[in-house]
Amino acid sequence: MASSRNVDIPQQPEQKRILSVHRLGSGYKPLQVLWDIEFSLEEGEWLALLGTNGAGKSTLLNTIAGLIKPFCGEIVYQESEISALPVHERVRLGIALVPEGRRLFAGMTVRENLMMGAFTQNDDGKIAGQLQRVFDLFPVLKEREKQIVGTLSGGERQMCAIGRALMSQPILLLVDEMSLGLGPVVVDGLLETMTAIKQEGVTLIVVEQDVNTALIYADRGYVLREGKIVKNGDAKQLLEDPAIQKDYLGYWKGVEKNNK
Amino acid sequence: MREKVVGLVVCVAAGIFLACCPFFLNLYWLRNLTNIFMFAILTQAVNIIAGYTGYPAFGNVVFFGLGAYSTGVLMVKFHIPFAITILIGITVCLFFTLFFGIPVLRLKGHYFAIATLGLNEATRAIVDNLSDLTGGGMGLSLPLPTGDVGANNRFFYFMMYGTMMLSITVTYLISKSRFGYGCRSIRSDEEGAESMGIDTTRYKTMAWMISAALTGIAGSIYAYWMSYIEPSAVFDMTIAIKSFVMFLLGGAGTVIGPILGAFFIELISTFAWSYLLNYHIGALGLIIILVVIYMPRGFIYFLQERLSLRMFANSINEKRI
Repeated sequence: MASSRNVDIPQQPEQKRILSVHRLGSGYKPLQVLWDIEFSLEEGEWLALLGTNGAGKSTLLNTIAGLIKPFCGEIVYQESEISALPVHERVRLGIALVPEGRRLFAGMTVRENLMMGAFTQNDDGKIAGQLQRVFDLFPVLKEREKQIVGTLSGGERQMCAIGRALMSQPILLLVDEMSLGLGPVVVDGLLETMTAIKQEGVTLIVVEQDVNTALIYADRGYVLREGKIVKNGDAKQLLEDPAIQKDYLGYWKGVEKNNK
Repeated sequence: MREKVVGLVVCVAAGIFLACCPFFLNLYWLRNLTNIFMFAILTQAVNIIAGYTGYPAFGNVVFFGLGAYSTGVLMVKFHIPFAITILIGITVCLFFTLFFGIPVLRLKGHYFAIATLGLNEATRAIVDNLSDLTGGGMGLSLPLPTGDVGANNRFFYFMMYGTMMLSITVTYLISKSRFGYGCRSIRSDEEGAESMGIDTTRYKTMAWMISAALTGIAGSIYAYWMSYIEPSAVFDMTIAIKSFVMFLLGGAGTVIGPILGAFFIELISTFAWSYLLNYHIGALGLIIILVVIYMPRGFIYFLQERLSLRMFANSINEKRI
């Protein structure tokens, strides 16, 4: 259904389509934020969602996660329509969200927070394995295991939030504002870990303000403006796109000339 | 670890002591303790919905009234035995919560608190006007329990005591369970909890149902104990306020804190009442203000801090030796 519209994406036959969004409109009733959103995602891909404040990036992620009900359109996940499913069922199907601003459970320890991520899982053995995997990815969380999350630094909190989302053994991981309030060194570390997560076969959608780093690590990018997708394509191509460079990266060839 | 053992031993000892009380205390104190147990149940019920789940059910007293009137009406008009009326009272409370919980629990914070208050006032008005069934503002006189006064007092003492123990056990189980973690995550961050795959509507409603059932049992026992109920006495907002004060004073979201709060307030109020008849409300208010200033997070945290400080000091001394 949606495939005919996505002519610009090169199809690789061995890859499996994991998510496709078709003519999606969403927002906060009565205000519509997203209009006619159209995109798709293959298994194991890293997709960067770019755009200024208020472009609708978080709204799109929250709609895919199920926190917001779409006004119209379809969300097809692993060949089934999920736009009517409540959040907890989507988590069970393997969609996990790292919400904007982390939203950790303040009164609980790091370990308890991580275990909350496995809330929909029943197999204790698998949960223990997953916890080990999260500790391997973020060794600092192992050190902080018994600490209340309020005592963590910003970067550690983000690690805890990503770790918590990973505890549900997601197939599709949605990360909102990954670098929000974090220093460049911490962001680089997180992006390396995200690469490792991707290599384990998790499909990623990452919302980023820092367009440069977002596009260096991602496979593809979508640019949102005023609730519509205005540009999409291969991450490397977007990085070299003069319009992107001008709008988001702050450099374009005319700058010096104009100043003089 | 040692603190936990000490705490557990103290609690069990207190429980056993209270179970033995009827055999040596006079009826005045037995009655006082029964009243304290009742408030402990109400406070623990508030704790489950407000302390663990973060929904300040200010009008929880509505379930007290529903329980009391279920027992009253069924015993007076339908001659149903007391034990069965308790079960029916619980059922009424559960259905009430199920029916109103789903819309009302969509509200948060103050709005939720006010909505529950509205539920209580509306229910009171309905009970007031269903004169044929409930006796309206005239109230309802229940059949007096037969037998001698001492035995009856012990009966109600143990009924309230048992229900209080039940409420503590239920809260303890909640605090250790998956369900409890779900509730705590809702309190901490509802949207976060939702994105972790917790069916928040179901969890909130269940927590309120548990709270409602416990409050309802206390209401049922109260009705038979007092043998006279009227809408303004059982749908009384002062009961709600009192149980909230006890809950906050004792320590929100802990198993034993609310019970301590109930004991503290009721004992102080009894003493203030018997020694300072003219000033007792003022004295009680003053004590509450002082406690709030010096123990803002409640007794249980105060005790914990003190205990752990002492443990810490001990551990340093041990190392020196």
